[in-house]
Amino acid sequence: MKLDFQPPRRTLRLLQGMAAAGALALAAGALVTPQRTWANLLVASFLLIGLGLAGLLFIALEYVTHAGWSVAFRRVPEAMACALPCGAAGLALVLIAGAGIYPWTHEPLHGFKGWWLSTPFFLGRAALYVLLWVLLGRSIIRTSRRQDADGEVAHTHRNIRTSIVFILVFSVSFWLASYDWIMSLEPHWASTIFGIYNFAGLFASGLAALIILVSWLGRSGPLRGFVTAEHLHDLGKLYFAFSTFWMYIWFSQYMLIWYANITEEAVYFVRRQQGAWGTLMVLNICLNWVIPFLALLGKRAKRDPRILVKVAAVGLAGRWLDLYLMVNPAVAPGPPRFGPIEVALAAAAAGIFVLAFLRGLRGAAPVPVEDPRLAESLAYHT
Amino acid sequence: MPKRSGMLDSTRRLLIGIFEDEDGVLAATRAARARHLNVVDVYAPYAIHGMDRAMGLEPSRLPWVCFLLGLSGAAAKVWFEYWTTADNWPVNVGGKPWDSLPAFVPITFEVMVLFAGLSTVFAFFLVSRLWPGRRSRLIDPRITDDRFALVIEQTDAAFDPEEVSRFLQSHNAVRVEERVEEGRG
Repeated sequence: MKLDFQPPRRTLRLLQGMAAAGALALAAGALVTPQRTWANLLVASFLLIGLGLAGLLFIALEYVTHAGWSVAFRRVPEAMACALPCGAAGLALVLIAGAGIYPWTHEPLHGFKGWWLSTPFFLGRAALYVLLWVLLGRSIIRTSRRQDADGEVAHTHRNIRTSIVFILVFSVSFWLASYDWIMSLEPHWASTIFGIYNFAGLFASGLAALIILVSWLGRSGPLRGFVTAEHLHDLGKLYFAFSTFWMYIWFSQYMLIWYANITEEAVYFVRRQQGAWGTLMVLNICLNWVIPFLALLGKRAKRDPRILVKVAAVGLAGRWLDLYLMVNPAVAPGPPRFGPIEVALAAAAAGIFVLAFLRGLRGAAPVPVEDPRLAESLAYHT
Repeated sequence: MPKRSGMLDSTRRLLIGIFEDEDGVLAATRAARARHLNVVDVYAPYAIHGMDRAMGLEPSRLPWVCFLLGLSGAAAKVWFEYWTTADNWPVNVGGKPWDSLPAFVPITFEVMVLFAGLSTVFAFFLVSRLWPGRRSRLIDPRITDDRFALVIEQTDAAFDPEEVSRFLQSHNAVRVEERVEEGRG
């Protein structure tokens, strides 16, 4: 049983159009307003990398906790991981062609920071992070699919071990990656919680994407009859929890900087509170936490895909805005800009994500048919 | 929570089926409701997944207690912090404004959690009529160990204990007994 899910032609064409519009905007923008274009490409690429990593992290967490409930839809996070190489390609373009957005490339720093943020080491680290993620992710997914063929329990044990390694590698490397790629845009500013803050955003947005994709395939695709309101209910609970975790970490970062009020730290929020940026900061909190929290507080909303999917879409928009607020004020001072470049690159990220996801689904059974925990997942009652 | 029909101090005639496993009592409960029998309560040593639906229980109202008391706790705490640091005895901390809301947030959060948590537990004790010194009324001592009990009330003259006994036994009840419960408040 192979999975050959093709969405309607119109949907496919729309997704390809979104990706093409992004490519056009990238080419034109790189010539006309390079700084702004590279900044938005960084946002889009980091978003894609985050969604891919969130898929892998979800699978790894389910393996190490011996969880059974999520097995029925494991092919969805597996396919999400295909967004990782696409995001990495965009990031490579930023780090090589658009490195000018990093101030330390034209005014070198001193001491440890100068050594850490030197171009060859910086690029080497980036390559290492991506290589580790891709190799470990591939190993997990390949082993999961091999089990479809022979049903050996040994594959599950092997994936538990790989998942432990992945979680350890991920927790250090993603922390450093968010320092390298985002925080070093303002190299004189430092926040030790920045890595957790980015992890919170990554996992909340990954769960939001997972909710949307699982309900899509469950309604009109190959997972019909396999995923139930029980699975959505638990995904909704996880998303609710990690949205609140994001708010908790956001506020932890804000409050310490506000309380200490040290010039080189406070400048980060001063910049992001002036004029229209301040409005966007409030909007960021609403999209990422206030709306998901209030909407998903009750039980009914978490079990009803029509409500849950809309809330998850709000959360994904919030993730984009969160990254936009981390990157753009640092690169392009002045009032926030939202024009064709921002729209086209954000749309391209969405289009490429879904196309990569559909590609990742190809060539495998819609559910891990031989997984020893599949029966538990199908009969799941929350 | 037992559903009561009729007046509180009326005598109730109960039919109790004792089961050995959770699947048996779950199936019997579903079937009893399908036969329009009055399921008073089900007793088990642990929570059984899906039993609330099988018994047709209404959703609990405890989340509302949790939400509203949590909200009141948070509001009371914000007011108290404002009153102590800005109104009654203004304290200058690091040159911050008197009513520095961000500084109030962690404590407000903790008090909200405390109020929400404790009030939910106390509300649960209250509606379940659990308080110190209350004597437990076990339908069978073994429901705290390895037995499951389904309690059905004999509601009217059309109720045939013989027939309902056979129905319970057909669902693998290991024992069926009739009990008359004297009225109580």
